Amino acid sequence: MAENTTITQSKETKDLLILLAQTQKKCGFLSEETLANLARTLDMSLSDVYGVATFYSFLSTKPLGRHVIRVCKSLPCHYKDAAVIIESLEKTLGIKTGETTPDGRFSLELTNCIGACDKAPAILINDDVHGDLTVDRIPQILQAYK
Amino acid sequence: MAKEIEVTLNDNKVTGAEGMTILDLARAKGIDIPTLCYVEDLLPTGACRLCVVEVEGSRTLVASCHTPIAPGMVIQTHSPRVIEARRQIVELMLASHPDTCLVCDKANICELRKIAADLDIGLPRFRTRKHYFAIEDVSPYLVRDMSKCVLCRRCIRGCNEIAKKNVLGMAYRGFDSKVVVDCDEAINTEACRDCDVCVSLCPVGALSKPRKVEEKRRGKVQVIKG
Amino acid sequence: MPEKRIVLRNCGVIDPRDMSSYLAHDGFKGLEKALSLTPEQVIEEVKTSGLRGRGGAGFPAGMKWELTRKSPGDEKYLICNADEGEVGTFKDRYILQNDPFSLVEAIAIAGYAIGAKKGFIYLRAEYHYLRPMLANAIDQARAKGFLSHMDIEIRMGAGAYVCGEESALMESIEGKRGEVRYRPPFPPTKGLFGKPTVINNVETLMNIPAIMLNGARWFNQIGTERSKGTKVFSVAGDVPRPGVYEMVLGSKLRELVQDLAGATDIKAIQIGGATGRLIPESMLDTPLAFENLLGAGAITVFNSHRDIIDIVYRTMEFLAEESCGKCVPCRQGTEVMVETLERFMHGEGEERDVKVLQELSSTMMLTSLCGLGQAAPNPVIDSLQYFKDAYESRIKARGEVKV
Ligand SMILES: Cc1cc2nc3c(=O)[nH]c(=O)nc-3n(C[C@H](O)[C@H](O)[C@H](O)COP(=O)(O)O)c2cc1C
Ligand code: SF4
Ligand code: FES
Ligand code: FES
Repeated sequence: MAENTTITQSKETKDLLILLAQTQKKCGFLSEETLANLARTLDMSLSDVYGVATFYSFLSTKPLGRHVIRVCKSLPCHYKDAAVIIESLEKTLGIKTGETTPDGRFSLELTNCIGACDKAPAILINDDVHGDLTVDRIPQILQAYK
Repeated sequence: MAKEIEVTLNDNKVTGAEGMTILDLARAKGIDIPTLCYVEDLLPTGACRLCVVEVEGSRTLVASCHTPIAPGMVIQTHSPRVIEARRQIVELMLASHPDTCLVCDKANICELRKIAADLDIGLPRFRTRKHYFAIEDVSPYLVRDMSKCVLCRRCIRGCNEIAKKNVLGMAYRGFDSKVVVDCDEAINTEACRDCDVCVSLCPVGALSKPRKVEEKRRGKVQVIKG
Repeated sequence: MPEKRIVLRNCGVIDPRDMSSYLAHDGFKGLEKALSLTPEQVIEEVKTSGLRGRGGAGFPAGMKWELTRKSPGDEKYLICNADEGEVGTFKDRYILQNDPFSLVEAIAIAGYAIGAKKGFIYLRAEYHYLRPMLANAIDQARAKGFLSHMDIEIRMGAGAYVCGEESALMESIEGKRGEVRYRPPFPPTKGLFGKPTVINNVETLMNIPAIMLNGARWFNQIGTERSKGTKVFSVAGDVPRPGVYEMVLGSKLRELVQDLAGATDIKAIQIGGATGRLIPESMLDTPLAFENLLGAGAITVFNSHRDIIDIVYRTMEFLAEESCGKCVPCRQGTEVMVETLERFMHGEGEERDVKVLQELSSTMMLTSLCGLGQAAPNPVIDSLQYFKDAYESRIKARGEVKV
């Protein structure tokens, strides 16, 4: 019956999401080993920890570069030539979207609207927004990320 | 004693106990509402939406398996709108389901097939990508074919609530959602023994028992007489 | 009806890092006023003001507060929804960047009114850069003793649009997958950690200090019969002056898009983002109000070079990517729509696809578990109503042989 079911719609997970985000910040990504450790500490099943880790697009179970570039592909940016920015980033970095440079410096990803549409086309590098982007500004922007 | 609540169910005034869901009441009154993700012994999850009914004054249809009855509710369980919605929900599930019913172990007991037949589903109208997952047959206790999974979560809930093993979990998001073991391994863990809870709960051919070697069936030679 | 600043009254006026500049502009006077009243009186003020939720659904704020106040239990929560994930929205970002103090004050008032000792601000991961300034505002307010009755904690999202949906948001704060819960029970009865909870959008809360200070009657005079106060809009797309504008509710869309943002060439406007409405230029005289057209305040303008099918396809792709995947109609329905629209994109739509899209739209609206799936068909429905020729021109001619 519907009474007393709400809280059990899903299982108790404590501060899992916070811990996942912290771990990702520290280790760059969430390896199976770190997930297993977290599961043990929180007394949760690994399946459930993996489930949370794979739900959110800012968490990654695959190794990422030191700096993650997320290019907005949503409509306002798309119509301000986000495709040109993507192409230029791919060329400059020598990788495709979804890949990481061999030196482990950058990962390139696409993302949905980052709330900077007044400055379209916009990208996020780690936590920083770079808006009103043009192809010629890209090399100089990337320089700041060693 | 729980309070009695009066509602109108398919034009009849009936009463039910406070806390009952619409589905509980309908079944108690002999009305059959199809369900897929709901199982009596498990907590409801509201995932499949097959059990929707019409409740007067509600903008949307209402899932009967998790909605408690309220005083004065006017409920229609089989209106044309409801039937059409249920039919499309089944069609949506079938859209990404493999067409392997012919050789499926659960073919004769498949709930999805039964519901599709009950609702008189015709040729498919919807198309989606299909999921292709390798068949997991490493465990001696069960075989998983996740391409057949309809994400009703009955196995997960059974494993947690009945078997209390917490082996299974839900991972990824949206159309990519998948019931996983650990970090999406093929099922073969110490925790999972032959309790069979999930296999018996699975409404489709996604979970089944492995065939024993000696049981290997041989096709019968058919002789066509002229 | 003109531009008017209530929510944005301090933006560009105060120094968002410095409490003393906020105090010099009536800062925390609203809280002072609220604390001189009983919680019930505060709720009564908010009810009288007619303030409705600015996060999309337009639910009366005062009523939500009252339900939560009256729910049994000592432990209650207030959540400020700063997940702002709707495509084309950035008004909450602008508010947080320019006036974090008002938000903290508003949360303090709301917490007092509903009896919450703990408040959360759920900030989307994409806005991580706003966190230090917001945390600074909370710290300063705490240091000045404005938060003696409650504490405020910032919780970060991790990249999921659906976590803006209230029940998914609460799951996320609880550390789980951002999957939607079924309702009832609703948050005022059983919300975060199973306790009575109010969840309000950033902009909804931003109105509270001004309502406290100037009185419900003052607020109630502004706007239309059923939409009181102002609304903050983020305008983007094919306009020369994209940005954030605050207008009295009931103002015409034309004033916003043409007079303020400067659009000249308009083919279509998306109002309310991906789950919002897609309308043609001929509807520019529609008033912006809950009873007509509103949504969360995202306005994206498309000029005559833009292709309607492309717009609808990309919007649907967004919704399919962001669906939590729990319920069948949304998880499978958005995928079917993406597949169908993709065929139209390549000029391979079929006559009957249009009918399939229409029927599927109605099922998704009627049966999806949350607002995402229920509103996902909007761009399809609207484009079929207002831009049908876009589909017709992409229907594959039957029997045509390509050489
Ligand atoms: C898919 C989806 C996404 C949503 N995203 C947001 C959001 O980013 N911010 C927000 O304030 N409300 C969002 N909402 C609305 C919330 O569920 C909720 O109604 C709102 O936060 C309530 O606050 P209000 O009454 O002050 O508007 C979203 C709803 C849905 C269905
Ligand atoms: S409508 Fe979509 S987002 Fe909402 S519960 Fe269903 S699958 Fe999840
Ligand atoms: S569309 Fe790119 S930031 Fe919003
Ligand atoms: S049976 Fe009710 S939602 Fe699945």
